[in-house]
Amino acid sequence: MQIQTAMLHVRGASWLHRLSPIAKLAWLVAIMCFAFASYNPVPLFAIVLAGLVMAMTAGLLTPILKVLLVFTPVTASMLVIQAIAPAVCSDDCTPATTIGPLVIYQEGISHGLSLTSRVLSMEVIAILALITTNPADLFSAFARLRVPYMLNFMVSMTLQLIPVLQREVQIVLSAQRSRGMKSHGFGSVVPSFVPVFAGAFERVQQLSISLESRAFGSSGQKTSYRQVRFGRLDRAVAILGLAVGLAGTVVGLIWWSADATPVIVLPVWATVAIFIVAAVMFVGIIVAALLAIARS
Amino acid sequence: MSAVVGIDRARYVYPRGGVVALEEITVEIPEGQSLGVVGQNGSGKTTLTKLMNGLLKPNSGRVLVDGRDTAKASVQELAGDVGYVFQNPNHQLFAPTVADELAFGPRNIGVPEAEIPERVAEAVEFFGLADILALHPYRISFPLRKLVGIASIFTMRPRVFILDEPTTGQDHRTTSTINRLIRRLRDRGSTVVCVAHDMPLLADVSERLIVMWNGRLIADGTPREVFADRAAMERTHLAPPQITQLSLALPGRTGRPAALAVGELVGEFGGAVGSAGTGSGEA
Repeated sequence: MQIQTAMLHVRGASWLHRLSPIAKLAWLVAIMCFAFASYNPVPLFAIVLAGLVMAMTAGLLTPILKVLLVFTPVTASMLVIQAIAPAVCSDDCTPATTIGPLVIYQEGISHGLSLTSRVLSMEVIAILALITTNPADLFSAFARLRVPYMLNFMVSMTLQLIPVLQREVQIVLSAQRSRGMKSHGFGSVVPSFVPVFAGAFERVQQLSISLESRAFGSSGQKTSYRQVRFGRLDRAVAILGLAVGLAGTVVGLIWWSADATPVIVLPVWATVAIFIVAAVMFVGIIVAALLAIARS
Repeated sequence: MSAVVGIDRARYVYPRGGVVALEEITVEIPEGQSLGVVGQNGSGKTTLTKLMNGLLKPNSGRVLVDGRDTAKASVQELAGDVGYVFQNPNHQLFAPTVADELAFGPRNIGVPEAEIPERVAEAVEFFGLADILALHPYRISFPLRKLVGIASIFTMRPRVFILDEPTTGQDHRTTSTINRLIRRLRDRGSTVVCVAHDMPLLADVSERLIVMWNGRLIADGTPREVFADRAAMERTHLAPPQITQLSLALPGRTGRPAALAVGELVGEFGGAVGSAGTGSGEA
């Protein structure tokens, strides 16, 4: 049974869990560099596919898909908005087809696919790294990479506060619903912000007092109870990741940059299919979420 | 008495982590009863009460509130019948003033505007909140915030009043007020479900106690019966009130019902005690 703990971490013993966080961070940095350098959606979607295959081999396909689902409206919105209002061309855009009153542009679909594939490739690899790394190990890994202790601590605490706040929001919404508050629309959620943020400030204040009372901020070498292993295999994987990232970035900048990559011209049926799928994901998930809130 | 809450073989498994919180629980709560729910942390007490107001829906079995299946009703629909006081008042309070906080619930459940001031006034008088009515709930002390949280449900006048650990972290005065509240609700014919680790309070105000252990209901009876059930007490690591323990341990009392208050035990020996020794919260 997989147990979800703080942050997005899913406990387990897969090969991805056993891999050193430093090696995973190296691959994450490499993919991010490549994603920013490349404009061609084909290699970027290939990375997404490879990430999902890796997740499958580690038995993590379901958790990763669940997290991706949360980001789906945002990713799908890029495709939908770019398709009908491309940012890359203005008057000289080439219409691919029309759906009712909407005109779908070739440049828009192409640009939307590039943006979506960039975001998705980074998302998949980042989520894979996060769900297979214990938060404490991530902290140790940053420390080993000589990230300043204070900065490392701040990042680590911030990441750990996210699920705490998520849980708090759920409890506060439950408390308000128990008093008959209708959970429809943004206006009804606003009252819940007060207890959540007041609670968050109080929590942070108590945390800072608690840290100070335990000598946080004192000088000297900081040690960590958990030690991050960084063996020969981890080192090799990390070096390979950085090398692939460097090579990919160079290739991306030379052959797959925004200037070098031609606009992808898809058949009309494919353009329509992509647009409809993205629109359904964009609107459908938001509507489904609102309906779920209304039913609860 | 007819059952206002009927739980029939309800099972609940938390979706995250697959923890089985309740295993086929069956319990009926008659209208007007004051029920105490005890058990160790993680035994399923809060999950059980959250089934009653529809915050959680059972995976199998049924939960009926006044004959209405909670699986088919929203929390908001049930809010008028089942009032739930959360353990942490900070989760409930948000309005700019205490007065607004007290009016929030009745307004949501459709109480006529003309009737709301009367309900607020009753709560203010009962809980002694007159001096803080214009203050922001976050500017008052934690015990007072707790009382405001309870008062904000009190103004909704639900038929079933659920209190989740109402006395945890509270001073003697607030505990006494909560004790008086439960008695008053009981006298008014409301059904009270109180989840607590405060055994003297439950001994004082409950007509019936149920004991939860690992998601199961392992004992059900009057406080005297339950506190005398050594097996259930040991299994759940619960300790009856000290006076009850003393009454059960005294030689020569074998077979007699456990005493729940100092006055009862002293009375058996022909003595009398003052008001300070009668129970837990009443002072």
